[in-house]
Amino acid sequence: MRTIRTARRAAAVLLAGAALFAAGAGTAAADDATPSPGASGTGATEETVQPGTGFRTAGNLRPGVRTTPASASTGDYLYWVFPAAAGEVPTVSATVTLPEAASRHGNQTWQLDVYDGLRRRQACASGKPTRTASAQDTQLELSCRLRTVRAWSEAWADDPLPGAYYIRLTVLRLPDQDLGLPVQAQIGTTSTDAGGSKAVDGELAAPLTPVAKAGATLDPDAVPSVSATEESDEAADDEADPSASPVPAGLAQPEDGWGGGWWSDRWIWTAAGGVLAALAGVAGYSLTRGRGRVRPVA
Amino acid sequence: MIISKRLAAGLCGLAATLATALFPAAAPAAADDGPETAPEPPKVELVLDVSGSMRANDIDGRSRMSAAKQAFNEVIDAVPDEVLLGIRTLGANYPGKDKKVGCTDTEALYPVGTVDRTEAKTAVATLAPTGWTPIGPALQAAGKDLAGGDGTRRIVLITDGEDTCQPLDPCEVARELAAEGTHLVVDTLGLVPNTKIREQLSCIAEATGGTYTAVDHADQLSDRIKQLVDRSADNVVVTPTVTQGADRCDDAPLLGAGVYSDREAFTEHRWYRVSVTDGQELRASVSVGADRAVNRDYGVLVRAVTSGGRELVRGSEASSGRTDVISSGLRYAWPERDDSDAATARTVCIEVSNSFSAPDAVKRTPGLPLELSVDLVSSPDEPSDVASFGLGRGWWLLALMVVTGLVAGVLWGWISRWRVAVWRTN
Repeated sequence: MRTIRTARRAAAVLLAGAALFAAGAGTAAADDATPSPGASGTGATEETVQPGTGFRTAGNLRPGVRTTPASASTGDYLYWVFPAAAGEVPTVSATVTLPEAASRHGNQTWQLDVYDGLRRRQACASGKPTRTASAQDTQLELSCRLRTVRAWSEAWADDPLPGAYYIRLTVLRLPDQDLGLPVQAQIGTTSTDAGGSKAVDGELAAPLTPVAKAGATLDPDAVPSVSATEESDEAADDEADPSASPVPAGLAQPEDGWGGGWWSDRWIWTAAGGVLAALAGVAGYSLTRGRGRVRPVA
Repeated sequence: MIISKRLAAGLCGLAATLATALFPAAAPAAADDGPETAPEPPKVELVLDVSGSMRANDIDGRSRMSAAKQAFNEVIDAVPDEVLLGIRTLGANYPGKDKKVGCTDTEALYPVGTVDRTEAKTAVATLAPTGWTPIGPALQAAGKDLAGGDGTRRIVLITDGEDTCQPLDPCEVARELAAEGTHLVVDTLGLVPNTKIREQLSCIAEATGGTYTAVDHADQLSDRIKQLVDRSADNVVVTPTVTQGADRCDDAPLLGAGVYSDREAFTEHRWYRVSVTDGQELRASVSVGADRAVNRDYGVLVRAVTSGGRELVRGSEASSGRTDVISSGLRYAWPERDDSDAATARTVCIEVSNSFSAPDAVKRTPGLPLELSVDLVSSPDEPSDVASFGLGRGWWLLALMVVTGLVAGVLWGWISRWRVAVWRTN
């Protein structure tokens, strides 16, 4: 009798331990199996991506890639754009190689701004997006880690959502004489997996990507009183096709799609909970079969 | 027996859990490519100052003119085939003292078109530093050279001196060119610039969304021009449709999905309308550019308002300091109706306002450049629970489940004991 019960208890403990181990292993496996594009970290490959000078002309970065130094002039507004999927925590980093110290006249303050696909400015949760270089510095390192990209948010929130993210790098304050001097700018993005604790439900029908077509002023059928400037109703045949919001050709796609996939370690936790509940049920049941219980005679 | 069965069942469950953990299905990357329209070839005109001051020998010990010529030769060799390139000179012909004549001295050295490299180089070789610096008239003429078509336009202005033909302010000329809605960008390069040249050239660049570069070395000059020409070729992007917002919603133009450009004066409000049906999400982004000297603090506000005047959602942004644009955006969705046959369309008004201000000396017209992009996509799936698939996570969950299981087991044990007891008594 006693031996059987101890064996049972031992088995229960063992199972519970195994379940917990499974949960732990699952988390680790999940981390490996949901590759965040930038996981490669410092060993990222370098690519030449010329920056653009505005939102529409932004240079297309692939996630996890670092650019080779692009030459520009002090005072240029340099734009790049990169994709981010739900469940990622993107980090943008930039290296500015300043003009020769001899030709500079004082401190320069540089800033890295990140905007989402709707051109809403996104806060940096950490990092140093604004830094000042003294007259002797040769390089400046800027970085900005965004908040977790959510799969869905309410329309009134400005949470980061899956889609394009614009990077703007520019000098914010400088002595006037230093305007136009040559600089080199290098930009890179990495991202980490936010993990199951940030796995939320809901989904956007389309990622927040830039609109990739010229506008078409429509003919307001029955609606009277149109403003006198209907420059282009020749494109009225281009009836707003609601579902098809073309993703711009140049914009890279995240490896696992914009939604970040269905997987999260919440599956493990919930399943492990189920297993533990079952075991506890068995244990509870066996508690009521104490000493002296009646066993049906076989 | 019973124990081993239970154990087996438990292990099976564990194995299943582990399997899910180790082999999560990779979500397919759904990439739907949008339609692509054949872009018009980009046009670039190089405007070179050939005024007398270009004789100065201060670029790597050579004259500014020879550095410019060498740079032009390299650029002509490297120009991408799809770019239509032209060359215009200013101050190349009239050496005299008459300002009136000197200030009209601008000539199309090589017409905008596909480049014949030999011909273009021969034309450049004939240049000799001569006359005045009529930047304003040259820009106006270059604007005309690039007229026609719908591609991107770029003027690359290379000069070593400020405009000598006041009162026509080249900066105003540039702003007017940009305001014509022809998507014209002027990039400026100053050779060995002083304060005055820098101010003037950066003003021209700022007015058109271009860049300003200070050049002190010959190789820097050719590299930068090549980069600017390549930029035209690389960045073939959608050119926004010119529209004009109204000052109230009822008169506003009805916009479909796409990118639009407009001009908005200081403190002006501009209205646009979009027609949205059930099951659609409206997305709008607005950028207002600072194309002139503005005061330190500024902002932009974009609101989506029903035709009845109720505000649905707004996007706003405020900032301060040096900037090219300030932008914001909004999104608002109407859920799919269950009786889908009666999907109602509604007109939504979009109001764009800015809080830019400028010192008194700054000209108010034309307005600040405004870019509006409108998109209509299907409504998002609103989650019934914030957690992914409504799943749980954490030690509290496990503890709760263990306690629940234990209680359930104990109850079940008691009930079955009681049932056995009842059965035995009977």
